[in-house]
Amino acid sequence: MTSIETLLRDKVLLLDGGMGTQIFARKPTADDYGSAALEGCVDLLVERRPQWIREIHESYFRAGADAVETNTFGANPLVLSEFGLADKAYALNVQAASLAKEVARSFDRPRFVVGSVGPGTKLITLGHVSYADLLASYRVQMDGLLDGGADAILIETCQDLGQIKVAVRAAREAMAAKQRKVPLWVQATVETTGTLLVGSDISAVLTSVEPLGIDVLGLNCATGPDEMHQHLQALCESSPFRISCLPNAGLPENRGGQVVYPLDPAGFAPKVLHAAAEFGLSIVGGCCGTTPDHIRALAPGVDKLNAPKRDPRLERSAASLYQSTTLKQEPAPLIVGERTNANGSKKFRDLLAAEDWDGMIALAKEQQREGAHLLDLCVAYVGRDEVRDADELLSRLVSQITLPLMIDSTEFPVIERALQRSPGKCVINSINFEDGEAKARAILDLCKTYGAAVVALTIDERGMAKSREQKLEVAKRLYALAVGEYGLDPGDLIIDPLTFTLGSGDEEFRGSAIETLEALKLIKAELPGVMTILGVSNVSFGLNPATRHILNALMLYHGVKFGLDMAIFNASKVIPVAKIDPDDRKIVEDLLFDRRAEGYDPLKALMARFSDRKAAVADDHRADLPVLERLHRGILDGEKQAILADVDEALKDHDPLKLINETLLAAMKVVGERFGAGEMQLPFVLESAEAMKAAIRRIEPHLPKESNYQKGRILLATVKGDVHDIGKNLVDIILSNNGFEVKNLGIKQPIEAILKEYETWPADAIGLSGLLVKSTVIMKENLHFMESLDLKVPVILGGAALTRDYVEGDCRRSYRGSVYYAEDAFEGLRHMQALAAGDTAVPPPVSPTQSGDAITVIRRGGASVALTAAGQSSWVRHEAAVPTPPFWGVRELADAPVDLFEHLDDFALIRNRWGFSQGAQSDEAFAAVLKDKAEPQLAYWQDRLAKDPLFRPRARYGYFPVRAEGDALRVFDPTDPSQTLAVLAFPRQTAGRRLCISDFFRADATDVLAMQLVTLGQAAADHAAKLYKEDGYADYFAFHGLATELTEAYAERLHARIRRELGIAAKDLPGRALFAQGYQGSRYSYGYPACPDLEGNGPILDLLRGAEIGVTLSDSHQMDPEYSTSALVAWHPQARYFSI
Amino acid sequence: MVKVHFRLEDMLVEAPAGTPLQAIADAAGADITFGCRTGSCGTCRVRVVEGLRHCSEPGSEERDFLKGLGSPADERLACQVAVHGDIAIDYLGL
Repeated sequence: MTSIETLLRDKVLLLDGGMGTQIFARKPTADDYGSAALEGCVDLLVERRPQWIREIHESYFRAGADAVETNTFGANPLVLSEFGLADKAYALNVQAASLAKEVARSFDRPRFVVGSVGPGTKLITLGHVSYADLLASYRVQMDGLLDGGADAILIETCQDLGQIKVAVRAAREAMAAKQRKVPLWVQATVETTGTLLVGSDISAVLTSVEPLGIDVLGLNCATGPDEMHQHLQALCESSPFRISCLPNAGLPENRGGQVVYPLDPAGFAPKVLHAAAEFGLSIVGGCCGTTPDHIRALAPGVDKLNAPKRDPRLERSAASLYQSTTLKQEPAPLIVGERTNANGSKKFRDLLAAEDWDGMIALAKEQQREGAHLLDLCVAYVGRDEVRDADELLSRLVSQITLPLMIDSTEFPVIERALQRSPGKCVINSINFEDGEAKARAILDLCKTYGAAVVALTIDERGMAKSREQKLEVAKRLYALAVGEYGLDPGDLIIDPLTFTLGSGDEEFRGSAIETLEALKLIKAELPGVMTILGVSNVSFGLNPATRHILNALMLYHGVKFGLDMAIFNASKVIPVAKIDPDDRKIVEDLLFDRRAEGYDPLKALMARFSDRKAAVADDHRADLPVLERLHRGILDGEKQAILADVDEALKDHDPLKLINETLLAAMKVVGERFGAGEMQLPFVLESAEAMKAAIRRIEPHLPKESNYQKGRILLATVKGDVHDIGKNLVDIILSNNGFEVKNLGIKQPIEAILKEYETWPADAIGLSGLLVKSTVIMKENLHFMESLDLKVPVILGGAALTRDYVEGDCRRSYRGSVYYAEDAFEGLRHMQALAAGDTAVPPPVSPTQSGDAITVIRRGGASVALTAAGQSSWVRHEAAVPTPPFWGVRELADAPVDLFEHLDDFALIRNRWGFSQGAQSDEAFAAVLKDKAEPQLAYWQDRLAKDPLFRPRARYGYFPVRAEGDALRVFDPTDPSQTLAVLAFPRQTAGRRLCISDFFRADATDVLAMQLVTLGQAAADHAAKLYKEDGYADYFAFHGLATELTEAYAERLHARIRRELGIAAKDLPGRALFAQGYQGSRYSYGYPACPDLEGNGPILDLLRGAEIGVTLSDSHQMDPEYSTSALVAWHPQARYFSI
Repeated sequence: MVKVHFRLEDMLVEAPAGTPLQAIADAAGADITFGCRTGSCGTCRVRVVEGLRHCSEPGSEERDFLKGLGSPADERLACQVAVHGDIAIDYLGL
């Protein structure tokens, strides 16, 4: 006889559509339910109105469905108890399944019945119901469905990862008890936010459910087919299970108080069929709003589809409630944070003793920030109830942390309770064979029941394995049991070949690190697919902290080379091997690899060397160096505190002027060279400059009165109409700390003011800076003006929008004095050094670039697209319905600075704003810089702003009715749509798509334009100015970059809110892709390529009444305070960035 | 000389080997939008449909950026590419 499983091997299975829709079409009354108190108990209608249910099943079968779902969505004791009907649960399920089977049998070809199991009304992850109660409730339902004859169980509309795991377990146990095995299907419901209701993304669902070995994992409800694409794509690529898809008939819309599903059968079917073909679906059907007609429209297309062939690849992972983390990190290893462990961390132990749950969660979050990928969690504390502590902590922790958990306990009941409390996929730490296999077997049962990975130690009845051969032998036995007998995926078995301390000097353990490393290699070679882990810091147990740091770092480094995948480690203590002193490294490696020689014992050498050393690695034996060498290193390392003592010492017997000229400036020169060679990032350069500043301050009082160490002077200014400060200030910092005198005139400086200053303060050069495109034009005008005055003073130009060609061509032709381009502050420094050295020859203008001339268009391509009668680009299609905003007019918001971090583009911040670029460094060295410097810096600011909000972000946004009129948008008064508030005009592309922002709005009907304005406020700008004034260069630079990106983050946060409110957020891509326009519609800010003219900021500020949150326009149409940005938001699916 | 085929508008442009793609796109007025031009905003993402090997190797910045997006190997940031042979590209910011 054909089973539902054999059918799925040959074809795509067509399931039915909505049940509720059909029932409510029959307008059930209190009488139908039996009493007014039972009204709404839809599951009861199987008993009260069986004919209705029969008709509905028949109508779906007749429409072509291969299978129907039973009317048992809420038929479990927990839900039914709300109607006082808990006792009826089993009977209703039996009845519903057998009724549906009866209908199925009346059709000729094989038709099937799928037992529907809904999510219930209580979320286990949020603590609404206990694990045991939920399991018992589902068990009753599963028993009934199986006894009633269901051909498959469908756990559907899942909103909670925890609930899925409980329901799957209930189904498994019911099948085992009845010795009747049917396919087990699971369908999650991904909301328009991109996650399940409780926040899990689809990869977290897949990772968590995969070890449970179900048959189908798919999606239903919440959205229409289009919004599911991204999640179906993820399943298509990774899920080993068949995929089902039962969308709603589009995203529900509220029309006059009625929920309406926009897709009719003709609109629905092609979308579902497209998804089926595109994403390799095995089962399709419909959910809310779909009818037998929708299924009928699908049937012919589904018939033509072959059973899909996919090649899914699933990375072995662990998952938190929210997200999945691959166990194979690039670069290796995966770091398991070790500080939430009562055995290892005194701080955690004290917090546990005080039952300071929030403190423990803060410690967990800290490790998350420090870069841990997984959290080891151990609450074993003598004299305390470990099960209760695990329960208390996890019930609070799981919803607050995004990292998966490693449950670290030796006690079976603790592990089980922890697994019940943790909705994702955990790792259990650990099993071994110390007392035989019984305990390991019990824990492996838990792995299977709850879907967990497991750490396995190479310990057997003989004790801890010490030789590589013995380690491998125990590993093989662990593999045979866990993978061979219990059927764990090899990637869920994490072997720990044990680390012993090298600190004891015990002869037995001298070679233990080599044995462990070699065992890693053997295990990876002989047991393909298994993962490896080490508790790395054990290697240095008993040694002093400074030694431990280095030994641990090198053990980690070599471990990875020998095949280590994961390490239990304090994430904040990972130091890059490149930073270790070569001499230290040699001795430590001699210890690791037991390279003793006649009269040389690395352990003794190490202990002698480190006997009085503090853990701060940077300070290593500086004291032994001559003082001038210490000063040199102090500048290079940016030691603004430590350098002062060295300066004082040097002043005793060195000439102060010589100290500056020959030692400090020489060191700064090296800094500049390293920056130029890509070996040093800007933040480190600024720390060097701070150290330089501190050193010079200390020396200055000792300089003879008339002496002058400065090589030359420069006047610096940001040009008229431009408020950008930072570039100019960086030039100031670099020049003034490299021996030049700088007068910084500030921003928005008209050339007249600069030249007036020059009259009283003759300088060797004038430096002009500006970020705007418009500023490049102003610079050229300034040069013309200086030419008209017959000036000859050299001019150095710098700024983001400038190019070398423009400066060395156009600008040089405008002025007879020397004109130089400075790509960065150090190129500016080189120009100043050349000028100071007397190299004042005027460089000739470069002729218009050869390359520009040599670029020729051979073929222009297709003619431009036509404009419509309304004057819009015909490339833009107005098919989608205009969304309805939740309100018209303007609203105001206020947020805490720390809220903005969620939307922060950390790549742009770290790489672009903060200037961490790899340059000439190796991948490894740069990864270390990111980890040791950039990421902690970000964590520092996040923490700082959480504790001490330095500024108060505010925003205003609104929705306005608009209509397109050619190149303009007419904005109407929301309270009186006959009144025009503004007409916004935009430029149009002259060729190609001939786009204009107004094209994304309807000309033939009222459309909706969203506008937004965000600001960090004057306090943020004041704080930046204060840091600069106090010579906190590195902090100033870091804060400025952060504030700039937080302004963007706030804009994105508000834009995301607008997308949600307009109902278009379903297309939001996860992760970093969001920042590359990974959403529907576009956010256009004035000054960017689609609307370059800053004057447009005026109407936005007027319409949003920006002054109410303190934002005004400068005379050059830039927003004040600095950290503010505004935008127009187009919802149209074709609205993307484009260039005029 | 190398040829760049901008497939969106079917435009064919010739330039000296080694010319930055952004210079070619700018000079020809191709319909590619550049944002930061420093490889950290992703506005100018293109798919190199033909001649991927004729593009300069991605630097670490671009590589890390595209990796963060999960982009396939034929996607590049137009502002980071120098063209060393004939290529055909699709602009992805549509």
